[in-house]
Amino acid sequence: MEDYFSYTAKLFNPAEAAAKPEALQGIRVLDFSHVIFGPVAARILADYGAEVIKLELPFFGDLWRPATYWGKYWKHSNPIWHNITKNKYFLSVNLKLAKSKELIYKMAEKADVVVENFAPGTAETWKIGYSQISKINPQIIFLSCSTYGQYGPMRYFPGWDLLAQGASGVLSLNGYDDRFFKLPDYLGDFVPANFGALAVLMALYYRHKTGKGQYIDIAQTEALMRLLPNYTFHSITGGKIGRTGNTDPTMVPAAIFKSQEGQFLALACATREQFQGLTKAMEREDLLSDQRFKSNWERLKPENAQILNGIVTDWVKSKTLDEIIGLAITHTFPAAAVEDDYTICNDSWRRARGSVILFQDTMYGELMIAGPSAQLSSTPSRTKWLARPLGYHNRLVLKKFLGLSEEEIKSLEKKKVIGTFDDRPGLKPPVYYNLAEDPIYNYGKEAKS
Amino acid sequence: MSSKEPKEDIYTRHASSNLSELAKSLAEIMNPEGKADVLEDVLVLDASLGNFAGIIAASLFAEFGAEVIKIEPPEGDPARQMTPFGSNVQGVGIPFLFEARNKRYLTLDIKNKTNDRLTFGKLAHKTAVVIETFPAGDMDSWGIGYRQLSQDNPGLIYIAITPYGQYTDKAGQFARMPDADITAQAGSGLTAEMGDVPNAGEPYNWPLRAGMWAAWYISGLSAALAGIVALLFRQKTGSGQMVDVATMDAYASMVGIPVSIGYTWEKARPRIGVLDFILYPYGHWRCKDGYVVIAAPRDHDFRALLKILGLWEIEDDWRYSSDRIPDILDQATHLHKLIEKETTKYTADELVRMALSYSKKSARSKWRGGGVPIVMKLMTPEMAMENKQWQIRKTFQEVEDQKLGKYIVSTNFVKMSASPPHVKWVSCEIGQDNEYVRNKYLREE
Repeated sequence: MEDYFSYTAKLFNPAEAAAKPEALQGIRVLDFSHVIFGPVAARILADYGAEVIKLELPFFGDLWRPATYWGKYWKHSNPIWHNITKNKYFLSVNLKLAKSKELIYKMAEKADVVVENFAPGTAETWKIGYSQISKINPQIIFLSCSTYGQYGPMRYFPGWDLLAQGASGVLSLNGYDDRFFKLPDYLGDFVPANFGALAVLMALYYRHKTGKGQYIDIAQTEALMRLLPNYTFHSITGGKIGRTGNTDPTMVPAAIFKSQEGQFLALACATREQFQGLTKAMEREDLLSDQRFKSNWERLKPENAQILNGIVTDWVKSKTLDEIIGLAITHTFPAAAVEDDYTICNDSWRRARGSVILFQDTMYGELMIAGPSAQLSSTPSRTKWLARPLGYHNRLVLKKFLGLSEEEIKSLEKKKVIGTFDDRPGLKPPVYYNLAEDPIYNYGKEAKS
Repeated sequence: MSSKEPKEDIYTRHASSNLSELAKSLAEIMNPEGKADVLEDVLVLDASLGNFAGIIAASLFAEFGAEVIKIEPPEGDPARQMTPFGSNVQGVGIPFLFEARNKRYLTLDIKNKTNDRLTFGKLAHKTAVVIETFPAGDMDSWGIGYRQLSQDNPGLIYIAITPYGQYTDKAGQFARMPDADITAQAGSGLTAEMGDVPNAGEPYNWPLRAGMWAAWYISGLSAALAGIVALLFRQKTGSGQMVDVATMDAYASMVGIPVSIGYTWEKARPRIGVLDFILYPYGHWRCKDGYVVIAAPRDHDFRALLKILGLWEIEDDWRYSSDRIPDILDQATHLHKLIEKETTKYTADELVRMALSYSKKSARSKWRGGGVPIVMKLMTPEMAMENKQWQIRKTFQEVEDQKLGKYIVSTNFVKMSASPPHVKWVSCEIGQDNEYVRNKYLREE
């Protein structure tokens, strides 16, 4: 029989991914959302082959377009934005005008999914909410994303990732007795966005069976609450888990340690077998017969956990990172170096795997972006293009999807129903990029000789 | 007690009556009771062992109505014993109770017993989804990996979850390395970004673990999401496929930001404590009776916050008005402390009211520039459970089991008008459904 890893290497070969079928081919999504929560939910659908049309206001665009880390731009764009909104069609329409609504309603007739994350009630007030769109297209799957949900007394409160972290309790859990920290990188948007996409996919599965669309209300606070057994802990014990620094109170030992050369690493023993392995690696098999550490239940007691984590701290200090990882493989217990921004994008295995991709884009050239957090052998997620300037796909969308003529589009431009970017970075193309010769931006226009 | 309004009322804002009607009808439309189980025709075998990413993925399928059979050896999945401080109910840890949603429990020792592997193979023949977390290649070497099972069952979706995945050289070299949440947090870039500023002293300036199973939940969620993508493809074509989740991808792949920054900046970000890399103010501050969370990152939000806190005199200081990005750590920390000096003068509710009343006026005034500083009381999980918002939305559900008693779980994490997720039962005794499974799926025909 063929070696397992040579079999899987062929099964998942990243070089062949682009030629494989797409699970969501033929699904059309109208993306009315902005910032991170809604846009990422829609992007996940795009990554699996859906046609996602993102609507933005002309000359203003998504609030997050210019929001880059420490104000650092890359080729006049926001490097983070490329991860959030790749693979989409960028249509810039002035939602306030009646004519724009006609366009949206016409697109809604043939759409399968709508994603929005305005403050609750706003989409209804602007007449692009579920009650209006579902009249045009009863089979529509309509995802409303918000911080607190579309009903309940807190619904009108504005919120972002941070507020959801604060309202769910997530924010209070990371750190030490006297100080604590939020989860970084807007994880309070990204995790709920994945839950939102999951719900849309379930709704598509349901629609395929029954022909029925539905309304979906996802509150990012509730999505974060799904990750916390803390409520159950409280209801059973009356106490709280609280903050436990960089130790994991569910297994012992489990913490972040420092090696001989000062490298940070995490090490844990989730099972008795793994703990046996660790004691062998430490040449401390005597610990196995110590009453305090004998059973999982004993080790988990806070007083014993503290002592054992202390013993492991001293041992890790006497070894190098490589020695620890080597011993972890030999004796089968979990250990891993603390990886950061730089090491992650330079790990060769992540590139070989396709978790980190050096992507070649027709507008921006080479950019490293993250691959998916799950690889599929037959219908893999893929990147086709990065984010585009505001209004970049106006012509393509209006002509190809709505059948408008060049004259009609010119008249829409004149009336400022549709528009593009201004000079701000994040909205415009790279300054050296020649848009006049871009076949997509000028879609269906007569070629200039 | 003064005759003030009930507490929650500060969080209630009023809109036009037709929107209130809409919200009322939504509460009825979104009631999960009696709704369809979208995955009722999907059979899932969860063979994960000692790994919550697998258990979580299985729970998500079960909440959407799939028939999920959890497979474990006679002594039970070691995951049953992974629990904060050892807290348990009759030997079952809290996280296992929390994830025990609508599942069946079958005893099979596929790690050690050939006969049990045969039984598993028979079951897998009728299965839509298999989930497993054994070292890459183990199931294959036992004759029940994707390669073998898919021959008889080409529609099978096979989800494998391991630290380093099923392919690449590293996956082979590290195949025996077991998985844990904290190692996956560290290995996927999360812990490096958490923790206090460099001069905070040890251990505060060390990489910090997120105080929850962030990596396991991200990996489980990713596995379930990939699984439903595969189910959609199967619905159309009848074909299954293999899904490979590497928990060492969890964080970096889900947020993508570490990769973009590592590449464009060519170095790693330092830890910046309570600050944020992009937005300011965007964090939490001490107040008289606890903490508040404040987000006022746009210029007009920030100016509004200064007015509310009586800090308007610093508005024209260039350090704060035009450059709040915390790349100069001292400057950002200084501003953080100026704000803290004011927030500690008030209670959380007072600060929330101050921000609200400003925002209401601001929305109608052209002079105030539309600034909306958001101020909320920081909740612990225990406080959050009491909030009326989540009671109305049925976010928490009291469940009851004959053996385990009553307890509360967070559920209904997304409201869907036709096919919502919901929790029907939580019983999770080892082998409790042995007979049920044998009668339903393993009878010789």
